[in-house]
Amino acid sequence: MEAIWLYQFRLIVIGDSTVGKSCLIRRFTEGRFPQVSDPTVGVDFFSRLVEIEPGKRIKLQIWDTAGQERFRSITRAYYRNSVGGLLLFDITNRRSFQNVHEWLEETKVHVQPYQIVFVLVGHKCDLDTQRQVTRHEAEKVAAGYGMKYIETSARDAINVEKAFTDLTREIYELVKRGEITIQEGWEGVKSGFVPNVVHSSEEVVKSDRRCLC
Amino acid sequence: MSPPMHGGGAGGEQRRDFRSRESNFLLEAEAPLDAELRGNRRLRGGGGQWRPARDGQHWHRTWPPLGRGIGQPEGCGETMASDGARRQFWKRSSHRLPGSIQHVYGAQHPPFDPLVHGTLIKTVPKTPTTPVKPKRVSTFQEFESNTSDAWDVGEDDDELLAMAAESLNTEVVMETANQVIQNHSRRCQEQPRLPEGHVCGDSEQAEHFCDLPLGTGSDGRLVKSVSESHTSHPADILSDAAPLQRSQSLPYASTAPLAYGSDEKNALGPPALTEREAYRLEKFRQLLAGPNTDLEELRKLSWSGIPKQVRPITWKLLSGYLPANVDRREGTLRRKQKEYFAFIEQYYDSRNDEAHQDTYRQIHIDIPRMSPETLILQPKVTEIFERILFIWAIRHPASGYVQGINDLVTPFFVVFICEHIEEEVENVDVSCVPEEVLRNIEADSYWCLSKLLDGIQDNYTFAQPGIQMKVRMLEELVGRIDEQVHRHLDQHEVKYLQFAFRWMNNLLMREMPLRCTVRLWDTYQSEPEGFSHFHLYVCAAFLVRWRKEILEEKDFQELLIFLQNLPTAHWGNEEVSVLLAEAYRLKFAFADAPNHYKK
Repeated sequence: MEAIWLYQFRLIVIGDSTVGKSCLIRRFTEGRFPQVSDPTVGVDFFSRLVEIEPGKRIKLQIWDTAGQERFRSITRAYYRNSVGGLLLFDITNRRSFQNVHEWLEETKVHVQPYQIVFVLVGHKCDLDTQRQVTRHEAEKVAAGYGMKYIETSARDAINVEKAFTDLTREIYELVKRGEITIQEGWEGVKSGFVPNVVHSSEEVVKSDRRCLC
Repeated sequence: MSPPMHGGGAGGEQRRDFRSRESNFLLEAEAPLDAELRGNRRLRGGGGQWRPARDGQHWHRTWPPLGRGIGQPEGCGETMASDGARRQFWKRSSHRLPGSIQHVYGAQHPPFDPLVHGTLIKTVPKTPTTPVKPKRVSTFQEFESNTSDAWDVGEDDDELLAMAAESLNTEVVMETANQVIQNHSRRCQEQPRLPEGHVCGDSEQAEHFCDLPLGTGSDGRLVKSVSESHTSHPADILSDAAPLQRSQSLPYASTAPLAYGSDEKNALGPPALTEREAYRLEKFRQLLAGPNTDLEELRKLSWSGIPKQVRPITWKLLSGYLPANVDRREGTLRRKQKEYFAFIEQYYDSRNDEAHQDTYRQIHIDIPRMSPETLILQPKVTEIFERILFIWAIRHPASGYVQGINDLVTPFFVVFICEHIEEEVENVDVSCVPEEVLRNIEADSYWCLSKLLDGIQDNYTFAQPGIQMKVRMLEELVGRIDEQVHRHLDQHEVKYLQFAFRWMNNLLMREMPLRCTVRLWDTYQSEPEGFSHFHLYVCAAFLVRWRKEILEEKDFQELLIFLQNLPTAHWGNEEVSVLLAEAYRLKFAFADAPNHYKK
């Protein structure tokens, strides 16, 4: 059916309306920038396989959420089963940056008892001349929340791959270290469908680490 | 899952292949000129692009006609109006219209057209006739057994032919037919002939039109396939459409085209009407002429589709915006227009106020993202949409503006503007439309949108309870009508809310081409609670329509991606009619017996 993957991670992409969530995801999953993008209503689903190390593939299932407030009752149901998230703002729209805090609060309430590993994404970085949020202040905010910060452009395909793969690696490291574990009844992380391969590779990784210690 | 990538224009060879593969379809579904045009359009996105490009062209691709063309119905009309026999026939067979059992047949195959079959009877050797069965049914079992054969085109047609033979004044039939034929013949002469040896449905079809009166077609069926041009042939749908759908999976989530069908307006002038269409159009004109339009009759007639020539006025009547009394209509329109523009005077300047700026900002950024872009992006159109949505939103604070409502303006605007333009809606330069006309269209669109939203406002209030409830009802309904599909979704942990939320929030507009939405709304406006209650049955029929594909998908991801990208880009009247017939059947089966299949 498809290539073998070690893990499946569910990610969620959130942020204000029209910051470019759907376009970023489509650039990542379909490799191009859609000319027209209807406002997302409710939640859309996307998927892609990423290779984080040679031979080590992770299947990403990505929930694209509607930014408009009215859909919050629908979209918040998806936080709980997500292990990672991209929190987007538009660098040309200061307000979308100011709302980052609200978005984090919103997720915190609804993700219990789990946690989401977030990356803060300053999107539309191709529009640098219209920038309303400096890289420096965005980095400061991200650091305050313990998140990484990255600037992307779906139109010019800048850092799109990196945003997703960095987040995937980060989660993968946490899984390897046992800080995130696969749990019954939680969809955030699932093990690949060739169990012994997964286990053996995990063991190899673990033993490596022990040796280093 | 590898979605088709953007393909450039297709070459001539590809074009021919495409045509020949679908020639049968063209032959049956299109008027000649129209077909040729569409044949060309089909090809622009021939490589498998289903997403609109900036040029807005790709949408045209494989869509069958939305509306039929304009003919010369006046001549036929007078004849029919003066013909008592036919009117009587119509009355006697009114139980075939919506709201009755027979309508299930009528919805799939447009109601029987005595004119067409009458002609047929006179021109081909008499076919063996079967006695007309009594139509009264009393039990569900009877209903089921009486309608289960409705899907069989052949037998019913024979029966209908027999009925026609008995009921029609043949003189009038011939007279009317001759007029239509003259029109067609003129068309045929005017129409540039295609090169010899070019195998395509269009020229063949043109010939059949000309041949019709003489009955030279050795096969009577041929005539039928021409005349019932938007009749779907179940066999064809199954054999042709199914493989197409598999290969045409749409690459994007919300990719279902909204762009307007290329045939709604024929760029080269009015295409020919079939006899059946002419007859139906005349029926509409009679009803609309007044002095008091019988709205119940109008609903029955509109259920199976409204001719585009009378769609604007019919929609306004069905929505309750326009009064049934002809003399009051003009005044009402003037008054409502004044009222709407008074709202704008009163409220529109407040769009940048603290209280409303969020609403306005959201509307303002959503509209340019809509399709068909070439229309929406024209500044005048953008402004009209902004005003309509903003006024509606602040006058309905319980819901306010919710994304998805913007989509619901488009069908009204497009249907109403088509009355005033010659070209296709995508190509129209709105600045050429007189200001006063645009103002009317704007006000009409606003009021019709308001009427629509009145019936579904709880879809858009806090926490969207209307949608939550309908999705739950859909789930329950599908559980009863197709347990296998229901279990399959459940087994793979696909939740109905994950795919059906959008079906409710945008009334399936993201799942089908705009042309289909327009046709769907003909029926929704003819049904009591069409946009809320009946829509639920349409959604159920829509889901089960894909049962084969659904059952083939064996994991969550593939299922959800399929359900969010249903391959409907080529859909037209035929598919919508089948869907509506099935929805009607479901409604009939469940509305009065909600526990019928409950375990």
